[in-house]
Amino acid sequence: MTIPTGPRHRISRAEARDASAPRPDGSPPPRDDTDLERLLALVARGDQDAFETLYDKLSGPVYGLVRKVLRDPAQSEEVTQEVMLEVWRAASRFDPGRGSATTWALTIAHRRAVDRVRSESASAEREQRSAPFPFSVDDVAETVEASMDAEQVRRCLEGLTELQREAITLAYYGGFSYPQVASKLEVALGTVKTRIRDGLMRLGNCLGRSS
Amino acid sequence: MRLFSRRVHELAGAYALDALDDAERERFERHLARCPACAEDVRRMASTATALAMAVSTEPPPELKARVLAAAAATPQLPPRPAAATAGIRHGRRVTRPDWFPRLALGVAAVGVAAAVVLAVVTVSTQDRLDRLQTQNQAIAAVLAAPDAQIASAASSKGGTATVVLSYAEQKMIFTSTGLPALPDNKVYELWLLSTGSAQPAGLLPEPTDGKTAPVLAAGLTSADKVGVTVEPAGGTSSPTTTPILVMTLPD
Repeated sequence: MTIPTGPRHRISRAEARDASAPRPDGSPPPRDDTDLERLLALVARGDQDAFETLYDKLSGPVYGLVRKVLRDPAQSEEVTQEVMLEVWRAASRFDPGRGSATTWALTIAHRRAVDRVRSESASAEREQRSAPFPFSVDDVAETVEASMDAEQVRRCLEGLTELQREAITLAYYGGFSYPQVASKLEVALGTVKTRIRDGLMRLGNCLGRSS
Repeated sequence: MRLFSRRVHELAGAYALDALDDAERERFERHLARCPACAEDVRRMASTATALAMAVSTEPPPELKARVLAAAAATPQLPPRPAAATAGIRHGRRVTRPDWFPRLALGVAAVGVAAAVVLAVVTVSTQDRLDRLQTQNQAIAAVLAAPDAQIASAASSKGGTATVVLSYAEQKMIFTSTGLPALPDNKVYELWLLSTGSAQPAGLLPEPTDGKTAPVLAAGLTSADKVGVTVEPAGGTSSPTTTPILVMTLPD
């Protein structure tokens, strides 16, 4: 990652640091989500303009994640549409006490993508599509903010043990169940469970510390 | 017992990444309902997963936006969960996941509210019609409230979008559309439940208001795996006479 040099960049880094000091519970700092939560409250009351703004903010993360899991652009578009409609339909069920608006939407997105990929009968095809460490520079979105996220996530992933990293990326980006992950990595079921759990904890700590 | 509990607890990570199968997920969710520490772990790990997702953010094709906005405009929303129902559900036996997690289900107590919301979509003129609509709306609300309710949408080849909410448990489907082209007086859009080699008539779409058709409830959703819409002579037919302007594959 290049060292930021422009004054504008420096200011935003400093602001970012202030806004997201390490958190005692080790979870990543909260995103600036209050805006989204306010929008979601309007959407829950049927405000279509608010939904349009919400779409602009969430469709990139949702589509990116769904596409990461499904690979196929046409199917990914279809599932993104279903997810965004579900956000519209169930906006009133969002409970800010239980996580951010982004997490809520992305949880819906991931569940949908995983449901879709597991219902695919052609699992042989998937085997070929999924690299052991499915994370490449091509995935990085173009906006500065997303690049910073991606860089930080990549760095923190590299800080995990190989097994932790592979288990997490196969499960999350690959949409594999943990027994499938165990068989791909040729390790015991219990090992995968604990590696995913410990790896996520460590990843959360790293993301909380380094932002 | 303690060993069992510790082992269930270890599933928190796999749960947060959707890496459990349905049976294990339900088992973990039962555990989650009475384990605040696990709920906190899951909250934290879900937030970490969000960072993994943000790192692969990619803008979708621009044309998707118009489709989603049009479909949303035709899709009824869930009412807020009433406080009493939330409490009952959270402690009741039916709850299988923390309620901020996406689930298409809503409490049975919310059905009345859902009926009112759906009702608002429909224009009514007479008491008699109102009564009939009320009955229909209760059936619609039951589909919206079904634990297995799913949503799907598709574009028509003639323009416009259709959205369905369906429940296999209720064996019913709600069909709405927006932006379908207007038809001459002697034609009507007819809805079909399609399965291999058969097309079962599932109702006529009402006249659109502001380009949207009011929800149509189709029962008998058993073996159909697709929904189709054709243009037919006024009054409809018992089997399709034209090429469908829309065919939507239903979710499993």
